[in-house]
Amino acid sequence: MSVRYRARAGGRSVGWWARRVVVLSVVAAQVFAATWAYDIPNKVFGWQMFNASSDWQAEIVRVTATGDRHDVRDPWPGGYRWEGLVLGRGLDRPFARAHASAGLDSTFDFLQKALDWVAINTPRDTETVRLEATVTYWDNGRGPFTRTFTSSGRSEQRP
Amino acid sequence: MSSVTLAHERPGVAQALTRFLDGVGDLRQLELLRIAIGPIVILHLWPFLQRSLDGIAYSDRFFQPYVSWYPEAPREVYFVLLWLAVVSAVALSAGAATRLAAVYTAAFVAYNLFLSQLNFVHNRAFLCLLLVGLTLVPVGRRFSVDSLLRRRAGAPNLGSEGRLWPILLLRFEIVCVFVLSGLSKLIDPDWWGGTVIMLRFVDGRAEAEASGVPVWLLDVVVTDGFNSAFAKLAVLTELAIGIGLIFKRTRLGALWLEVGFHVAIEVVFSVQVFSYAALAAMVIWITPSARDRLVIVCGDARRTRLARVAVRWLDWTGRFVVSEGEPNGRPLTLVDRDGRSSSGRTAGLFVLTRLPVLFPFVAPLYGAELLAARLRRRRRPRAAAGDE
Repeated sequence: MSVRYRARAGGRSVGWWARRVVVLSVVAAQVFAATWAYDIPNKVFGWQMFNASSDWQAEIVRVTATGDRHDVRDPWPGGYRWEGLVLGRGLDRPFARAHASAGLDSTFDFLQKALDWVAINTPRDTETVRLEATVTYWDNGRGPFTRTFTSSGRSEQRP
Repeated sequence: MSSVTLAHERPGVAQALTRFLDGVGDLRQLELLRIAIGPIVILHLWPFLQRSLDGIAYSDRFFQPYVSWYPEAPREVYFVLLWLAVVSAVALSAGAATRLAAVYTAAFVAYNLFLSQLNFVHNRAFLCLLLVGLTLVPVGRRFSVDSLLRRRAGAPNLGSEGRLWPILLLRFEIVCVFVLSGLSKLIDPDWWGGTVIMLRFVDGRAEAEASGVPVWLLDVVVTDGFNSAFAKLAVLTELAIGIGLIFKRTRLGALWLEVGFHVAIEVVFSVQVFSYAALAAMVIWITPSARDRLVIVCGDARRTRLARVAVRWLDWTGRFVVSEGEPNGRPLTLVDRDGRSSSGRTAGLFVLTRLPVLFPFVAPLYGAELLAARLRRRRRPRAAAGDE
């Protein structure tokens, strides 16, 4: 059976237009995603696989109203555990040096969002005012460099 | 102008595009992708399934929606939807209620992919695109429970014809995967210079040594010179596959490179389901036209019998019609879809390259055979000129 070609002698059917609109939309969306991926940390549909061999590790602390700093691995008011709150992309095991699986920008973006999420979603903890992560990273072997990430304040989140 | 000459005429880009946009073709080769994709979906869902067995849903941990209005399923509902996806993936592979299974599997994989930014990885996105593609074409009309039930009920065979535009889109996306990946590495000095790849090898050295890889080989692998060359080879391979797939003349070579590429990255780096999905998706490049090549086998020699058995049992994409020739004819003759015929070793190798399971092993032999034939053709006129 060979490939057949169906075309109407005159006029264009709705299907004729619909197929072109769908195909052109997908092509345009892919071109947009590929271009935009160079500006965003997570490279969604940018197809930039294995883009780096960078490493990172983080020390994450809770900062209380008195200014005390407690490692999140220590007992946490409300019985929370860091690895019980965050999962995936190596964010649940940030304490040992590890590969930044989708690049440093992506890891940092998720770490910041994770700190914000944890700050909001730990209502039984009445002591902590914010979370801080001090990140040591190696950018494709260069470094180490240090960067600090701070969660949004918890006081304004509380009812 | 003879019909054979017409068949040889190469359509322009516009004609080829129109053919794919408006044409229909035989898509039975996609049945292979449909069968393979069920286990790949389950493998990709495995981490989510494991968490569900521990009672952990996406909403129990940090998750990050793309948009605030994205529907977030309550945890119990999410668990039900997740396990239903496993059932639908099995049904999709088996070809039971195929259309429904394809739509549900694609819908859940897409829903899960976009549920949280953390869920986005390229291999999942690639799998999602393949699944969406499968919902747009008829799959499940062969090698399926659905077709078996239809046969038992005495209903006529539905045939494998379908619109070609989804194939055009899937091909476009596959080309994009390779070209964009290669391009991003080409313009990155750390990748092109070998730094990225060397650090990967250095990281994996202890593990490789423990698994028995010779130390001398590892010593070579972590040198600057090796990695600089290897990185360039890797980047150019990706680009060669992507660009090679576009053109019919280079497609077979690109597909062969792709097999090696996926096997290599799966062995060295382990890339979740990407290699499996990409290998299964290679059938998308098969011409959507079936049973349009005639294989004539003659005699009862061992080689002839072997060819007959190979074609009958391994021609999973329905490329050939096998016919018995005259007893004293050539052992194997191939009449291609354009009417050209060949015989002997060239024809045998051609046939074997179109049998999916033998393709990776036979393609280099076929390539060498074509090269040798070309060289012979070039030498002949020179020899004739020398005789004069």
